[in-house]
Amino acid sequence: MADLCAVVGVGQTKHASCRADVSIAGLVREAVDRALADANIGIDDVDAIVIGKAPDPLEGVAMPELWLADALAAHGKPVFRVHTAGSVGGSTAIVAAQHVMAGIHGTVLTVGFEKQSDGNAMWALSVPIPFGMPVHAGAGGYFSPIVRGYIKRSGAPSHIGAMVAVKDRTNACKNPYAHLHEPDWTLEKALESPMMWDPIRFVETCPSSDGAMALVIMSEERADKHAGPKAWVHATAMRSEPTAFAGREQVSPRAGEMCAEDLWRKGGITNPAKEIDVAEIYVPFAWFEPMWLENLGFAPRNEGWRWVEDGVTDIGGSLPINPSGGVMSTNPIGASGMLRFGEAAMQVMGKAGEHQIDGARKAVGHAYGGGSQFFAMWLVSSSKP
Amino acid sequence: MFTAPLVVAYPYKRTVGTLLSRFFQSLQEGRLEGTKGSDGRVYFPPAEFDPVTGRQLDEWVTLAETGTVVTWAWQSAPQPDQPLERPFAWALITLDGADVPLLHAVDAGDMARIRTGSRVKVRWADERSGGIRDIACFDLLEGAS
Repeated sequence: MADLCAVVGVGQTKHASCRADVSIAGLVREAVDRALADANIGIDDVDAIVIGKAPDPLEGVAMPELWLADALAAHGKPVFRVHTAGSVGGSTAIVAAQHVMAGIHGTVLTVGFEKQSDGNAMWALSVPIPFGMPVHAGAGGYFSPIVRGYIKRSGAPSHIGAMVAVKDRTNACKNPYAHLHEPDWTLEKALESPMMWDPIRFVETCPSSDGAMALVIMSEERADKHAGPKAWVHATAMRSEPTAFAGREQVSPRAGEMCAEDLWRKGGITNPAKEIDVAEIYVPFAWFEPMWLENLGFAPRNEGWRWVEDGVTDIGGSLPINPSGGVMSTNPIGASGMLRFGEAAMQVMGKAGEHQIDGARKAVGHAYGGGSQFFAMWLVSSSKP
Repeated sequence: MFTAPLVVAYPYKRTVGTLLSRFFQSLQEGRLEGTKGSDGRVYFPPAEFDPVTGRQLDEWVTLAETGTVVTWAWQSAPQPDQPLERPFAWALITLDGADVPLLHAVDAGDMARIRTGSRVKVRWADERSGGIRDIACFDLLEGAS
């Protein structure tokens, strides 16, 4: 059986469309320094470092983990790099946690980053591979037919995406680190936003951000002696499936359902919607909130959009989703999953500031990547299992 | 067997941050500035983070335009976009006042004229834009080695 571990430090950068004041190394270091300060430890107390980011073509730096060793103060320590496309921030945190759960290391530092301003993710992900199907339209072009499939299947009205967008942009105003601070969105205004990839409006898409997120994870033995709030890791789960195969369910991928089932089983959760206090889930296009509500097993099939419409996922609702503003307000791709995992930890540690959900005891961090093919999730709590 | 061409061509930029911006600015203005590490070693080009402690470095040292060749290799047939059009030496050069060498070109003219220990001096580019090529190359200091 795996050992218990806990998040004891969380640190993120101020996210922006271009952090020209820092290099990639400086960006990573800003998050690392804040996580170490939050944990009240020094870099010398760290046994190993696990770093993750999205595909290298996004910045054009091959194997940045080698170049970043100085910035991570990694000399003499093991460094591991993780890559699972957009879910990488989540899977990186899981790999870091597993180093502790396996009893190999007592204190592990993990960081996810992306400096999107150094390149252009949309075109970097659209290289026309010979004999393959060209995408040429970025993530929005890939996901819009899937969103259309959800709308057709569920009968959702066309304003649901705009509702999610307004909620997340409004929530982000309570998060000082969020990239977009746009307090003036209304549903009426959002519905006038230009159609970008029908049925996805411009306001229903995430920004391109520079940013990083870092976590400090400790063994039970060390965390017990460590002063300050902790987020105990009750369960982690990962699943994957191929991008394309005949008969694949793209609206609610089987890998996502299996990942959630595994998470609930390991965490002893029988009624997720009732037992989970808050969730940070990976919503780069607004419509994915109701889609993932169903895929995760929170809402019944075809009912996720009703939860959005009824305000269930608002900060004051019974299942707040993305009180930080989520990916819809901040998207440094390689960090976005770890931001979800870290924000979930912050909620149960009581460190979420203005976007804190009162009394949050159990929270979920969720990330997905590729063509909805990689899933990573964790369940954290203010108390031990 | 089938093959198909795949050319990936795509523009990037590199944000260098505050510390390295000062380095590139100083090159443009015709100065050589390195950073000093926790163990006293001076790095040129500057290190952003201390290779020993990982601490962010912020102590600057202005260096002389002269230095010493640590090792070298002869480029007998220069390629397009290399620093010089006639045969030259690639060399690791430790600037006076620095402890770590940088890689650059020495316009030695003839392979027989350069050796490990040769003394060299910066030749600045006529037009400078804030990059390592603001140093056009290094010249041998006559009779100094």
